[in-house]
Amino acid sequence: MAGVLFLMVLLGGCATPQVSALRANAPGSLPQQVELAAVPFFPQEEYQCGPAALATVLVHGGVATTPAALVPQVYLPGREGSLQAEMLAAARRHGRLAYRLAPRLEDVLLEAAAGNPVVVLQNLAFAFAPVWHYAVVIGYDRGREEIILRSGTTRSLVMTFSTFERTWARGAHWAMVALPPRQLPATATETDHVAAAAALERVSADGARQAYAAALEKWPGNLAALIGAGNAAYALKDLPAAEIAYRQATIDHPRSGDAWNNLAQTRFELGRRNEALIAAQRAVALGGPRLAQYQATLKTIAATP
Amino acid sequence: MHAFNRAVARLLILCTIGLGIPLPASAGIVTTDQIHASAERDRVKDFMAREDVRAQMQSFGADADAVRERVDALTDQEISELAGRIDQMPAGGGIVGVLFAVFIILLVTDILGLTKVFPFTRSVR
Repeated sequence: MAGVLFLMVLLGGCATPQVSALRANAPGSLPQQVELAAVPFFPQEEYQCGPAALATVLVHGGVATTPAALVPQVYLPGREGSLQAEMLAAARRHGRLAYRLAPRLEDVLLEAAAGNPVVVLQNLAFAFAPVWHYAVVIGYDRGREEIILRSGTTRSLVMTFSTFERTWARGAHWAMVALPPRQLPATATETDHVAAAAALERVSADGARQAYAAALEKWPGNLAALIGAGNAAYALKDLPAAEIAYRQATIDHPRSGDAWNNLAQTRFELGRRNEALIAAQRAVALGGPRLAQYQATLKTIAATP
Repeated sequence: MHAFNRAVARLLILCTIGLGIPLPASAGIVTTDQIHASAERDRVKDFMAREDVRAQMQSFGADADAVRERVDALTDQEISELAGRIDQMPAGGGIVGVLFAVFIILLVTDILGLTKVFPFTRSVR
């Protein structure tokens, strides 16, 4: 028994892998100490840390909502909790870009330093008897190696980096931010950000349009963002803007059949039949997995005098 | 006669399911969903997965009126991760309802910094 206790004390005292990595080489841009004191606090009720954590970041980002209003969107009574996918989806339903962070402690701290509170999933107990819990990281202190959370019924829960990492690792290092779509997450990568914008497009073409614009500022020429920007504009019935985006896509990616096909369809609807015909022929000539669709577009255009 | 009725019922079920499946656009815009799909997906499978998630969420007590919108907001990838696994996925609920026996163990492990169930514990380093 004493041996077990001794071992546990040893383990408890050990630095966790990501904390060690952070000590060894933290990015120079990472401030020593951050606390986003203005982030609101909603003490959770019953099993509803999901709605509470989500309301915390949404209200901070300017959305008018409450945990109670979010319960019917994310809470699953039979599971006495909220699923991760629904946390992301509910943020999107409020027009926010829901971005899942890379599984790095450093990225969580970088987002907090950029002013973005981070929703994290922790398993507060053990892998074999999990207590799943959502909390919001609002700051940290690198000198003291402590992280600050809005958590459960505690307004400012201070936890050591090591303990946080253990509980967070048991939640598979899951973390997300929910930002106004015009804003790029501090740790955004090109592929993941454009995918997050596409996910937003499912529920908000207007939000997606802003997210694609932000992506194209940072990564001009990204094909999925160019076509996405066109598709969002098309969905909003802004055909001239859609045409501009698709045309840019065909300039930057002349071998994209999708870009030519969508350019053709948009020009056709704008009444520019001859230009549409040329674009549709290009799409068909390029072919690819959606050739049948390009052919159908071409046929429709060609059939119209 | 019974067998005939059953056959008709099966046919009708198939037809009803078929009605709800979004068909590939014959012409027009290539959608963002199409672009992000890894290959031309099996639309029937996608549709079934979405229906499965909807039914499961409803069986876990999600409001029937709200569940359609909830499922619509999920991406195809999120749906494929959830389908058939909603009972096993982590569901963040929080710290209420931990049994007393477990309480003592968790108190000790909290103090050791291995867990962090209780906000009032302070771990030894």
